[in-house]
Amino acid sequence: MMLYSVNRSLERKTKLHQILHHPYFGFFALGFLLLFVQFLRITGVNIPITVLRGLGLTMIYIIIALGFSILLGYAGLASLGTAGFVGIGTYLIGYLTNAKGYSISMILVIGFLGAIAIGTIVGFISLRIEGLYLGIITLGLSEILNEVFKNATAITNGTNGLLMNRIVLFGQYYQFNSNTIFIAIVFILILVMVLTLNIMKSPTGRAMLAMRNSESAAQAMGVSVLKYRLLAFIIATVYAFLGGILYMTYIGFSIPTTWNLAFSLFVLAAVIVGGSQSIAGVVLGTFMIFGLDLAVFQQITFFQENPDITFILNGVLIVVVVMFYPGGLARLLINLKFKITNLVKKLMKKWKAYKYGEDD
Amino acid sequence: MFNETKFWNTFIIIIASLIVVYAIVDIFVLRKLPKRSKNQTTLINGLLILGFASIMVLLIDSLGMFLFLQTIMDKVLGICVLALATTGIVLIFKTSMTTNFAQGSMATLGAFFAARYILYLTATTTLTTIQKVFLAILVSALVAFILGILIDVFIIRKAKHVTSVGKQMITMGLVLVISGLIPVTFGGLPLEIPRLSYDIVPVTLFGQSLSIPQHSIYALYLTVIVLVVLFAALRFTKWGLGVRATASNEIVAKMMGVNTRIITAMSWAIAGALGGLASVLAAPFGGQVTTGLMVSYQVNGFMASILGGFSSFGGPLVGAILIPLLQGLLFYFSNLWQNAIVYLIILLIVLAKPLGLFGKKIAKKV
Repeated sequence: MMLYSVNRSLERKTKLHQILHHPYFGFFALGFLLLFVQFLRITGVNIPITVLRGLGLTMIYIIIALGFSILLGYAGLASLGTAGFVGIGTYLIGYLTNAKGYSISMILVIGFLGAIAIGTIVGFISLRIEGLYLGIITLGLSEILNEVFKNATAITNGTNGLLMNRIVLFGQYYQFNSNTIFIAIVFILILVMVLTLNIMKSPTGRAMLAMRNSESAAQAMGVSVLKYRLLAFIIATVYAFLGGILYMTYIGFSIPTTWNLAFSLFVLAAVIVGGSQSIAGVVLGTFMIFGLDLAVFQQITFFQENPDITFILNGVLIVVVVMFYPGGLARLLINLKFKITNLVKKLMKKWKAYKYGEDD
Repeated sequence: MFNETKFWNTFIIIIASLIVVYAIVDIFVLRKLPKRSKNQTTLINGLLILGFASIMVLLIDSLGMFLFLQTIMDKVLGICVLALATTGIVLIFKTSMTTNFAQGSMATLGAFFAARYILYLTATTTLTTIQKVFLAILVSALVAFILGILIDVFIIRKAKHVTSVGKQMITMGLVLVISGLIPVTFGGLPLEIPRLSYDIVPVTLFGQSLSIPQHSIYALYLTVIVLVVLFAALRFTKWGLGVRATASNEIVAKMMGVNTRIITAMSWAIAGALGGLASVLAAPFGGQVTTGLMVSYQVNGFMASILGGFSSFGGPLVGAILIPLLQGLLFYFSNLWQNAIVYLIILLIVLAKPLGLFGKKIAKKV
């Protein structure tokens, strides 16, 4: 596979081909597409605000899911605590901005350090507890965090939810402008995708992959399980915190009921349905699980009248994809591509045979 | 009557001293001995029993005997429902190697059918409440039983090569499908399930005059009968032997002539039926029957399973008894944080014993 693509790129090494086949091309294309939608909205094309909001939320969920895909697809650790960590991110920025007036760059630094601390703790837990047990223990952790969100009313405003309607940047207060924040999220998303790809393709990613396939073999080859498990959890937690901070800046409201078991399971579903080892798969899966409902179905009157149908569709989608394509939608696309190219080749051959007579 | 601050101080001192004792003994004694891990297990077991006993003494001391026993009486129903739900989860974990998130949803679907059936019975017949609810329990268990068979035959059996996380995702998809189907099927009907009985029975225990709802007593009878029959079946029948064989190694069991397909299908069906029974028993306390009926039991069921250890059937039952009990007892000292504290205690215990209280270590071939 690898050799094949190298050969092909040697054969036809045009400038355009190089650009199209660059690993970052897809990320920037996606980013430009999203920016274009936002641009249309600004210039006055009548795109409903809910569509944009759905796309913005989907981007934030893609960031969270990318962190999770490193954890699940590369380190092989299943966690159900995502919701709790994202929730901490939202309350962190909400509290620090409302009560303390910290600037957003300061909050990002604090969030980064906090995520490292929490990731380390969960990483150490994961050293003792494995497999499905780890999933349930992280679920318990998420439940504890949810109780904290509900009951620590001084910080989180309890079950009424925490509102945040301005951010601090360079010592100045700014009112929300969802258009600007949408553009900022697009750029952060591109950055995160590039970063994730580099992690995946680096020695770190390969070490994690080795650990996932066989822990004993990886240890025998000198891969430190402690180091890479901690690292995987730290990366996932940092992404989740970042997602939470972006969520709060974009939506401006956080309530404990959002950060429940269902959210963690949806993120897990997005990664599994998409394909846990490819970025394109995660993007596709997140769009299927979150984006379709948020940006598309909510525009159609049939689904507005019967919101339960979307649940059924989503559920059937998850079941069917996991049953028949355990590699996820990414694998499905690759298979489809191969089938189509084979079909085209076959048809070409037949056509040539028909035109020039059957030689071979 | 009791002092909250004093209770929490003592509580924290007990847990902290256990951890300190463990650390000291481990560092200064166990590290110098051969066979460290075996001694370590013994030490952890001893400390856990000591900690459990001292916390119980502390609770009785601060609450008083009457409140302590009355809380147990109040929690009987919760324990019964959780025990049934947990047994279902463990049964499926053993045969299909996955945590079944749909356990609660299967049960809830059963409860909806039961409630609809009660509505039908009220309109057409003149049965007493207790007769109606008993019939409804049968309907609920039957619906969940059939649903379990269908799920296994059409989905889980076909997904043999999916990883256990993938299977988890399938059950998650099923939760979505079922919770979408329920409003479509039963939309608009005000569905309620009455209690088996609204009487409150006085009980005298250790010289204290307590009270317990008649509904809880019936629930206790039903749960004990069902679980005793189930455990006897697991221990003494061919099906039980098959379940244990499948749990230990599915492929070898198949080679030895165990019909693992029927074993797995029956496990799903029985897990569903247990859930169906549990949901009808739990439903009267949430007002109308809703799709979120069993969510808290589901989460607590998972917690109970890992607290007791998935490798045995009895361990999770102990977990299912401990969790509601501790939540109920700690409620008197902090009516906000009791759940979080119980989960934290479980987290600590599982960190000390990763396979649960009664889990057995299974040697892994590398």
